[in-house]
Amino acid sequence: MLYIFISAVGRLLTQNNSRDRDIMRRIAAQEPDALEELYDHYNRLLFGILVSILHKKEESEDMLQEVFTNIWERADQFDPSRGTPYTWIVSLTRNKAIDRLRSKVYKEQQKQSINLDDEDVYNPLFSNENNPLENTILSDRAERVYKALGQLSEKQRSVIQVAYFGGLTQSEISEKYDIPLGTVKTRMRDGMLKLKELLAQEDE
Amino acid sequence: MSQVDQKNFEELCAGYVLDSLTESDKELFLQLLEQSSTQQKVFFEEMKGVASELALLYPAQAPDETLKQTLIRRVWSTIQRSNVKYLTRYRYSLAAAVLFLISTVGLGFYSQNLTDKMTSSSRELAKYETVIERLGDELSQKEELLTILEARDVDLVMMNGLEVNPGGYGKVVWDKDNDRALLQVSNLPAAPSDKDYQLWLIVNNQPISAGVFSISEPVSNSFFKVDELSHDLGSGAFAITMEPKGGVPQPTGDMYLLGS
Repeated sequence: MLYIFISAVGRLLTQNNSRDRDIMRRIAAQEPDALEELYDHYNRLLFGILVSILHKKEESEDMLQEVFTNIWERADQFDPSRGTPYTWIVSLTRNKAIDRLRSKVYKEQQKQSINLDDEDVYNPLFSNENNPLENTILSDRAERVYKALGQLSEKQRSVIQVAYFGGLTQSEISEKYDIPLGTVKTRMRDGMLKLKELLAQEDE
Repeated sequence: MSQVDQKNFEELCAGYVLDSLTESDKELFLQLLEQSSTQQKVFFEEMKGVASELALLYPAQAPDETLKQTLIRRVWSTIQRSNVKYLTRYRYSLAAAVLFLISTVGLGFYSQNLTDKMTSSSRELAKYETVIERLGDELSQKEELLTILEARDVDLVMMNGLEVNPGGYGKVVWDKDNDRALLQVSNLPAAPSDKDYQLWLIVNNQPISAGVFSISEPVSNSFFKVDELSHDLGSGAFAITMEPKGGVPQPTGDMYLLGS
């Protein structure tokens, strides 16, 4: 039963990848319908990432537009031999958000405007409960990642979580949590290697 | 690469894919990545894939409904702008093509004009060459005539016009040493196209043809060289008659000049 479930997820992942590649090819050929299709597949996920990182809905909406405009303009730079469209799109989104988050102007704005009671402020936490993903496939994949993360040691998981979801650099983590920088790096590396191994096992 | 270096690469790689490197570490990693082995590059791509899977754990949020419409409208506007650019490029191409066509036609006309001019110039040149040739002939003829006049001993025979053409006159300068003579005629009418003038030496009442010449236009003076006028013929009178074209053995036509 477990084998059938895992095989089904694997097949669907492959199908998704193939579908996304086709969409990217059409976007590169400047077909607006393809961008619309991609938007329908990923807008909730990408907007969730942006809101979680930037903590501002309006800012995140502007950036979501910017991300899709970037995809539209740079789709021809996507190299299928170097990864999946999903990884490319997510990396693009996160990089933009992190860059914005770390910019001096943004930090200044945050200081002045953040209020934890503000409705516009999001405090995403890694949890399965508040994770209403937009379709079953993404949900299944999230479940797998969640399970894999659960198999890491607490120390490895926490540095990865703080880095990825909190947007902190290794140095900031070291300073904030009073852990030697070398230890932070080692935990992060070991945790990611373990995660890679676990997700690969899931794929098999 | 040593184990330490490999570990360092992997640490930087993990930090990079999680966006957790400082700017200086990021630069360092990108430098390492540039020099990395194929295996390390594959490792990097795999780690990127793992990190992107973490994104699935963000709580999904629906953006504003109008966002999609705004985005698609913006994208369509870029397409239209591209089309405008394409049309502009098309217009430029068309303009270039028209310009090329006009230039080609213009050059064609110019070339034709030059060809016509060249043909006309060639004709002119041929005409001038003919004139030069004629003048050259005349010059050599005059030179020959002069050599006759330069002879030490010549006989001069004057001829006068007769009833047919009383105003005419002429003379024969006979260089007997060289058996040749110079004939000069004046005020003779132009001979019809089927006629020629014929010079006769009359010795003992017997006319001997000394040559045929033609006058196509009435001119005051015409000079002719008479070859092979042997001194053995002795002295006599000279006469000029108008005869059928090419001359005749015995005079048949009107006599225009006579002298002895």
